[in-house]
Amino acid sequence: MSDIAWQPVYWDRVGEGLVWIGLTLLAYMLFRNLQQRLNGNPLINPVLLASAVIIGLMMLSGRDYDHYNDGGQWLLWILGPATVSLAIPLYLNFRQVRSVARPMFVALLAGSLTAVLSAVLIGMALGASPETISSLAPKSVTTPIAMGIADQIGGIPALAAVFVIFTGAIGAVFGSWIFNALGIKDPRARGFAMGIAAHGIGTARAFQVSWEAGTFSGVAMTLNGIITALLLPVIWLLFS
Amino acid sequence: MQRQQIIGWLAAFATLAGCQIIGALLSRTLHLPVPGTVIGILLMLAVLIYWGRVPGPLRVVAEYLLRHLNLFYIPAAIGIMAHVALVRQDLIPIIAALFGSTFLSLVVGALVFQWMQKKDASREGEP
Repeated sequence: MSDIAWQPVYWDRVGEGLVWIGLTLLAYMLFRNLQQRLNGNPLINPVLLASAVIIGLMMLSGRDYDHYNDGGQWLLWILGPATVSLAIPLYLNFRQVRSVARPMFVALLAGSLTAVLSAVLIGMALGASPETISSLAPKSVTTPIAMGIADQIGGIPALAAVFVIFTGAIGAVFGSWIFNALGIKDPRARGFAMGIAAHGIGTARAFQVSWEAGTFSGVAMTLNGIITALLLPVIWLLFS
Repeated sequence: MQRQQIIGWLAAFATLAGCQIIGALLSRTLHLPVPGTVIGILLMLAVLIYWGRVPGPLRVVAEYLLRHLNLFYIPAAIGIMAHVALVRQDLIPIIAALFGSTFLSLVVGALVFQWMQKKDASREGEP
């Protein structure tokens, strides 16, 4: 999370937190290696599978989310600096990206609005509760940014984080099939759309396909995070 | 591993974490409608533009963090445990919105990018 809250340290819980961090690392490494061995098969999504294993272990050992979070919150905190790292490829690829600035800007606006509006409208049409709808709205931007946005528009940050992960996994698993079905071959268009719709998890997938697609996906994810954070609270005021 | 190299990596991580922390503090104390991480990204970009280059260790650390970005999403995904009741109540709209909206934005993003790029290319007289 982006906010740092200082709390008293309970040393007996630190040990268990460390165990959960270790198990999370192990599960991640296991599924990452498995995916690499299967030539990057998108169905072997490390985030979804590792989370499922950890949730299974929590249920077996009868521990609740608070116990996991004693360790998990530190791992999640690193997502902040890791997201700031996106500035480095954006800076390094600035020249390459500038040559297609106009298609990028228009695709960014169109994709960003589609992601927010379609999620909100489908949620409303099917009668979701207001907290769910506010948590769905920022689902296409990377977790730390989405949690911040959800907080501002009356959503639940942790729920927004979960929607973000599933969105990323859906994009990573089905993206290539959709682009192939539409006959879109340009790796720049494929990567850019992946970054808008499916943020970091889609970007991780795009980098497996090609370096160029990954670069454009990373740039799209960064720009989409910035533009959604700036626009969504304003759109929300107009809606309500 | 040399000590200097490790210090370089630590300094690089401290730079990234520093941008994140300053961004979060600015967002909170000034009540900005922008999440701290976005301010952190913009700060980091401003610093890079000021430096005019990316120091070697910073590039190594950033590439490492981005390569393992998936790892840091796992604790967020496990957060579903704390909201099982709400998810169960709104399960159908949630599944429909996540699949429908993700498919739509993939399609719109890629088609608009391709369409605009072809338009620009033909205007410049490229094949």
